[in-house]
Amino acid sequence: MLKNVTEYHIPGSLDEALSLQDRESRSYFIAGGTGLALSNSNRPVELIDLGKLHLDELHLEDESGKLEIGATTKIQQLVELDELQDFAGGYLANNLEKVGSYPIRNAGTLGGSIVRPFPWSDVVPILLSLGAKIRYFDGTHGVRDLNNLYSDDFRETLRNSIVTGIEVDLPEVGETRGRFYKFSRSEFDIASLNLGCTLTALNGKITRARMAVGARPSFARRLTEVEDFLQGQSLENDLAEEATEMAADTAGVTGDRKMSKDYRLAQVRKMTEEALTGVIGDFLEQ
Amino acid sequence: MKITTYINDERKDFQVEPGEVLLDLLRREGYTSVKEGCKTGDCGACMVLVNGRAMTSCTLFVSQVDGKKVRTSEGLHDELAENLRKEFVEVGAIQCGFCIPGVLVSSYSLLTHNPDPTEEEIKAALDGNLCRCTGYVKQIEAIKNVARDFEGVSK
Repeated sequence: MLKNVTEYHIPGSLDEALSLQDRESRSYFIAGGTGLALSNSNRPVELIDLGKLHLDELHLEDESGKLEIGATTKIQQLVELDELQDFAGGYLANNLEKVGSYPIRNAGTLGGSIVRPFPWSDVVPILLSLGAKIRYFDGTHGVRDLNNLYSDDFRETLRNSIVTGIEVDLPEVGETRGRFYKFSRSEFDIASLNLGCTLTALNGKITRARMAVGARPSFARRLTEVEDFLQGQSLENDLAEEATEMAADTAGVTGDRKMSKDYRLAQVRKMTEEALTGVIGDFLEQ
Repeated sequence: MKITTYINDERKDFQVEPGEVLLDLLRREGYTSVKEGCKTGDCGACMVLVNGRAMTSCTLFVSQVDGKKVRTSEGLHDELAENLRKEFVEVGAIQCGFCIPGVLVSSYSLLTHNPDPTEEEIKAALDGNLCRCTGYVKQIEAIKNVARDFEGVSK
């Protein structure tokens, strides 16, 4: 219950939705509403429901590999959509099933999972490891790399924007495969560490690599040094060893009450090795 | 604000606070199968179907069910629901009973969408329901038994 909410708006356009934001930031956009409903915060006084803005559309261009997903699309819809079962070898649909529980995925939206700055989010590293971009509206439509999500200037931009969706551009040639791992006390507990990796390969060589680690315990980030190391390499299992140490050196993990720094580092090594040997194995078996 | 919703096939008009969650409205209106457990979306005791999808009513604002169909455990009356109830009793899947309406809603949702689930799929469907006394072995057995005899119901 948000005790101080007195107004509920259902705007019919993005411009109208933006205009409803008040200057004191006590109006909140909602789509699934799960995150805000759980907050029990006394701060919100107005809710602005984005549910009628038709931001739940999905476009997938098979030939170019370009995917666009609207922000109010429910997570479980993405798990079930036929169009996504083969996208990146099923990476997106299969791994979004690891987010929360079935009833939470039925209510929670993609945009809500991105815009609320939860460092343990599973959605963000899954999308980062696909090289996703975020689409937003601040009076004009903008697109920015999702890796900037937690930067100060983008958080400032988002304060006066509406997240409208994400887009993923897979390379037009080559195949993309991936692995995502989540370490948590139970299946739908929040992650103590999560890591995702996708590789695109053509003629036995890696043409694109994307790797991201989250719940470090701070915000998720891409491991660009590991990505740069992997790109251009031949698909061989011994790549994993060098990349694993590089991931541990650059993941920037620390300890907290859920997991010590050393244990997190050991998990980063294990997840990186399993992700890379798994994906490379998938390609070599073909 | 005013909302209109269809609870267990009955049209209902309510004057609600926009920051109120569906769980509080349902309890106030006498739908007591919907339990308040954790109120953080973890335990599933407040599970309902919204337009046929299982959701925790503690994480939904009432304003978001305006114009939608809500079904609680009280509103599950068809053959599938009765078979689930009977089987839960027969295999001994109930002790204190607090979590059971929510488990039944999740089980009903699963079998409606997937009449022949694997054990893994049953476990995944019950992921959002916590039971602190009976455990899940008997509940899974009950769902399997119903699925075995289930010939489909209209969604």
